[in-house]
Amino acid sequence: MAHQVVLVRPWDQQMSGSGCCGRLGGLGNELGNEEDFAPQRCDMESMGVVYRALREALSPDVEMTVVDPRNTAWLVPFLLRKGWARGLRGRTLLREVGRGTSTTAVVVDGRTVAWGQLPGSGIIVDLVLAELYGPNCSKGL
Amino acid sequence: MPAIVIAAAVASAFFLGYRFYSSYLARKVYALDPAFVTPAHSMEDGVDYVPTNKHVLFGHHFTSVAGAAPIVGPAIGVFWGWGPALAWVVIGTIFAAGVHDFGSLVVSVRHRAQNIGSLASTVINRRSRTLFLVLIFFLLTLVNAVFAVVIGNLFVANPAAVLPILLEIPLAIFIGQYIYRTKSSALLPSIVGVLLLYATIPLGQQFPIEVTGIADALGVDQVRNVWVVLLFVYTFFAARIPVWVLLQPRDYINSHQLFIALGVIFAGLAVGMNTLVAPAVNDVPEGSPSFFPFLFITIACGAISGFHSLVSSGTTSKQLDKETDARYVGYMGAVGEGSLAVGAILACTAGVVASRADWDALYPDFSTASGGAVGNFVNGVASFANNIGIPFDWAVIFAAIVVISFAATTMDTGVRLQRYVIQEIGVITGIKPLARNLTLATTIAVVGPLAMALLPGGGEAGYTFGVLWQLFGTTNQLTAGLALAVIAVWVTQQGRNPLAVLVPLVFLLAMTTWALVLNLRNFIQQEQWVLAPLDLVIFVIALWLIVEAALALRKAFAARRDGSVDDVTPDGATEDSSAVHDANVARDVGPDSAERRT
Repeated sequence: MAHQVVLVRPWDQQMSGSGCCGRLGGLGNELGNEEDFAPQRCDMESMGVVYRALREALSPDVEMTVVDPRNTAWLVPFLLRKGWARGLRGRTLLREVGRGTSTTAVVVDGRTVAWGQLPGSGIIVDLVLAELYGPNCSKGL
Repeated sequence: MPAIVIAAAVASAFFLGYRFYSSYLARKVYALDPAFVTPAHSMEDGVDYVPTNKHVLFGHHFTSVAGAAPIVGPAIGVFWGWGPALAWVVIGTIFAAGVHDFGSLVVSVRHRAQNIGSLASTVINRRSRTLFLVLIFFLLTLVNAVFAVVIGNLFVANPAAVLPILLEIPLAIFIGQYIYRTKSSALLPSIVGVLLLYATIPLGQQFPIEVTGIADALGVDQVRNVWVVLLFVYTFFAARIPVWVLLQPRDYINSHQLFIALGVIFAGLAVGMNTLVAPAVNDVPEGSPSFFPFLFITIACGAISGFHSLVSSGTTSKQLDKETDARYVGYMGAVGEGSLAVGAILACTAGVVASRADWDALYPDFSTASGGAVGNFVNGVASFANNIGIPFDWAVIFAAIVVISFAATTMDTGVRLQRYVIQEIGVITGIKPLARNLTLATTIAVVGPLAMALLPGGGEAGYTFGVLWQLFGTTNQLTAGLALAVIAVWVTQQGRNPLAVLVPLVFLLAMTTWALVLNLRNFIQQEQWVLAPLDLVIFVIALWLIVEAALALRKAFAARRDGSVDDVTPDGATEDSSAVHDANVARDVGPDSAERRT
């Protein structure tokens, strides 16, 4: 089975359930202004550095996905399914879901390896490689 | 007939539409190419351009487009009976909205993920960009006016909902601060936030808030109008505070509410086995608007919504992994919104009352039907909720809270967006104070819809609401018309048959102009001197759109006859316009991002 790395971070746009006419976007979007989502833009840029570092470090068959934490329709079932498959139950499973739905998080094959205030991209790459190929692996290729 | 049978029949129709018609569109009209390198790959940067799993992308897309508008239109539209309303939602979704949402996504992907405003400028001509801005200006003015009336009506009818809605504001701000400062999980606080919101319902029932006293003191006949003014005062300030303080944290609460409401509607429907009590075709009283053409502008969102093209082309197109995924994401986005509209139709025809006589009392004439439409939806959803064991009194406030939350967020956003549009118009026209003065732009953004909500019809709820909603539907359909024109021109340029796009385009333009002419005549006869000029302006915009679309299509057909088809290069740029695209991309995203991508 192919490995999957999920990067959780907000998009600079509204996803409100308030409808298509009640929606703001950020940079380069017809709906809104780039300043609207400045904090989210920072998270996007920071995670972009992590994304590019992981793209370089990982083999192409590792699937990388970027998800907004508000996309609960996909993210929560995904984390529950993966956690359940790993044998997690009850509070442990809920804790794992909580970590994976943080504003910023890195999830490797359903396990959240970093969340909240993320460390530098180099450390995250090491964490992901260790999770995928074991602690002694320095390069996933 | 049990409503669940209708729901199952519609689900089957949507399935067939997706299975066969979207497949036809994918093969013959849009000619999707699995090998095409999408912008998510050709410009991949891990920030804006990210190849994304189609199921993840559908989650983003659907949460961005679904909301209050597909509730309001169908709730009014059942005035002509559930048959015409349902038929338009189903046929519109399959043959118009699906074509529009799917096509907008494909054309954007084929033009380096440009948004629809830039696409109109690139594919049709530069004037189309101005046309687009003008359309959005009127659309936002009307949507803000309409939703203020929606909320005002619901506050008057359900004073117990006021306190929970007021408490939602500090709740959202607290959640926002918590998430922003700790960067922790948003899921748990937002779920707690939703539960707290619903937990305040008994408090709201204990302390209902009414403004009848204020209305009496001011000599205002319609109590609703006091709420309308208060709402615009609120949005004046709300539109100026940073998005992350209130608007974004409310996203989390609202996104949970969307799925809770959908679950309640369809679970209640399945458990309660409510039967349709409304007539399939209503024998409407003489003098009522006829369903041709008014049904087709009354139900816009849910059958086809022009704003979807902005969502498809704004963000979704930057994340499309494979071009073939556009079929699932774009077409199913339209189907998702159509399903919401079907839920609204069933709530207002099977949930709201138990007998035909009771239904007739709710929909005796167009004015009463329009004024009470959202209230009917709220009561219908409450009835479904009651089927699954939720006390009716509580369920009514729950349903009102859901609708008001969505409508209030739409207003917050709409006023803010309108401010940007006004500032941009200030830049284009060279009126510097309009472009630079935030207070002036926000004031205009608030005063326009406030006047619309208060002045026409002398404050009579049903008339005001029905007419404003129709004008909103008209501008929304015209925005869809502009997007369909862009798609039709592009399909023609590619040497393929554009009939699947032209049919909904011509139909929408015919219905909207027909309705505008009829309304203009009525407004002049009734001496409605606010609505008549507004209608006339929108009519001129419609004619402008028809001329632009016809000219662009004639040019595209002529180019095709001459053999100068606009080929697409493997990296997604059209050969003859890649320089324009580069310039647009650089302009849209700014120098930093452009540099990063290179």
